[in-house]
Amino acid sequence: MAEKAILYDATRCTACRGCQAICKEWNENDEIIPTKQYGVNSKNRGSYENPKDLDPNTWLKITSIEVEHYGKLDWLFNRRACMHCTDAACVKVCPSGALYKDEVYGITGFNKDLCTGCGYCVEFCPFDVPRLEGSTLLGKTRMSKCVLCTQPGLNRLDAGYEPACVKTCPTDALLFDDRDKLIAIAKDKVAALKAKGFTDATFYGEKELGGLHVMYVLNDTPDKYGLLVDPKFPATATAWQDVIQPIGWAVGGLTILGLALNYIIARQAKISQEPPKVKEKK
Amino acid sequence: MAQKNEVVVEKYSKATRILHHIHTVAFIVLFLTGLILFIPQLGFLAQDSWTRIVHRIAAAIFIIAPLTYLVLKPKAAIKALKEAFTWGKEDIGWLKAAPRYYFLSDEDGMPPQGHMNTGQKLWWFIVVVFGALFILTGLVMWLLKTIAPASVLQWMVFAHDVAFIVTGAMLFVHVYLGVIHPMMTGAWGAITKGTISEEYAKSHHGLWYDEVTGKNLREKGKS
Repeated sequence: MAEKAILYDATRCTACRGCQAICKEWNENDEIIPTKQYGVNSKNRGSYENPKDLDPNTWLKITSIEVEHYGKLDWLFNRRACMHCTDAACVKVCPSGALYKDEVYGITGFNKDLCTGCGYCVEFCPFDVPRLEGSTLLGKTRMSKCVLCTQPGLNRLDAGYEPACVKTCPTDALLFDDRDKLIAIAKDKVAALKAKGFTDATFYGEKELGGLHVMYVLNDTPDKYGLLVDPKFPATATAWQDVIQPIGWAVGGLTILGLALNYIIARQAKISQEPPKVKEKK
Repeated sequence: MAQKNEVVVEKYSKATRILHHIHTVAFIVLFLTGLILFIPQLGFLAQDSWTRIVHRIAAAIFIIAPLTYLVLKPKAAIKALKEAFTWGKEDIGWLKAAPRYYFLSDEDGMPPQGHMNTGQKLWWFIVVVFGALFILTGLVMWLLKTIAPASVLQWMVFAHDVAFIVTGAMLFVHVYLGVIHPMMTGAWGAITKGTISEEYAKSHHGLWYDEVTGKNLREKGKS
């Protein structure tokens, strides 16, 4: 089966946030109305956005940015969630195998049962997406992020459906299909936008981090939408996993080997120095 | 080994030995619960984060034990810390003679040593420096998780791992030399009972022996 992906067309998004709501509902993440009676002190932060940021129960969030856009003030919407990178730093640093690259769909899968809560993925994700739930003080935590509707028992992809966010989108700002097909569609869309005069229109996600599985059609440059212009695989992740850890195994192994060798030689040397005593003892 | 009628010299005080043993247990627990992160196949042991809780309890002991020692025995603590950073020409002589000593039981080249020989001092130096690095990086990851910038936390993980590799490998050397090596006879008694025989002190810690006995003589002269 071909790799799958989501294509988000920011020019079609109305920020209705139906995707945000259905994401919580399908994935059973605090499906409550954030009011005082449910213990949520919701307050005006001077923005149409809500909640403030991604959190363990908010895997998807629509952001809105007021920015200068082709010479006038505009209100740009964007979709924030796991990008399902091909070169996923979170998978690289995950010590328990809870995070993995899904071989069927190409997405970044997550087996919550295997998560030990170390939070390395939180620190190494270039897009600042994974969130920890639980007490970081006690260390009893678990990571939480978008799994593109592949939770066991709630797996829409295996059942042949699109992710819940795509299904619910009323303006077709979200599309789900084979990644190759979506790339062709996105390129057409960007070409059309450029023809309309949006000269900075961008297709984002084709090559970034080996290719994202959430791609973007934007009618301006990615930085205007709050996206990383050139996301990098963190060098510390490579240095740690590919350099330091193998060195660690080598150092540990050679130390034990060296000590064993020393024991054999030193024992022999000691015996040869005091042959009568050793024999008597035996 | 010190026999019943043999003259013995105190090498490690009771407080020092207790600190050593508490720190040993804490470190081994920290080592094993941390090792799980190096072996993905052992990931199941960390499920429900319980090894992470154990790691934190051991970490608290690892931090509190030496601080308690510092408060109760400030003089001894400062003296010991100074010792870790005092290096002289006997140390170079020791390093040159060490391979022949440890492999061929040839003691001739060994220059007289102080309270700790160069090897012990090297380990003690690593314990102090990397212990501090462990505590610093560990506390940042523990208390400032999600608060500190991600790039800072990345380097904390990295440094914690480097400290883990250095101290982990050297721990094998330390245990081996103290317990298993054929030439080591006094070290085990020194850390368990606190004393070494006068003979052993003379032959293995000559400089320190002279210093201690010299002091004793002067004190006797005064009284």
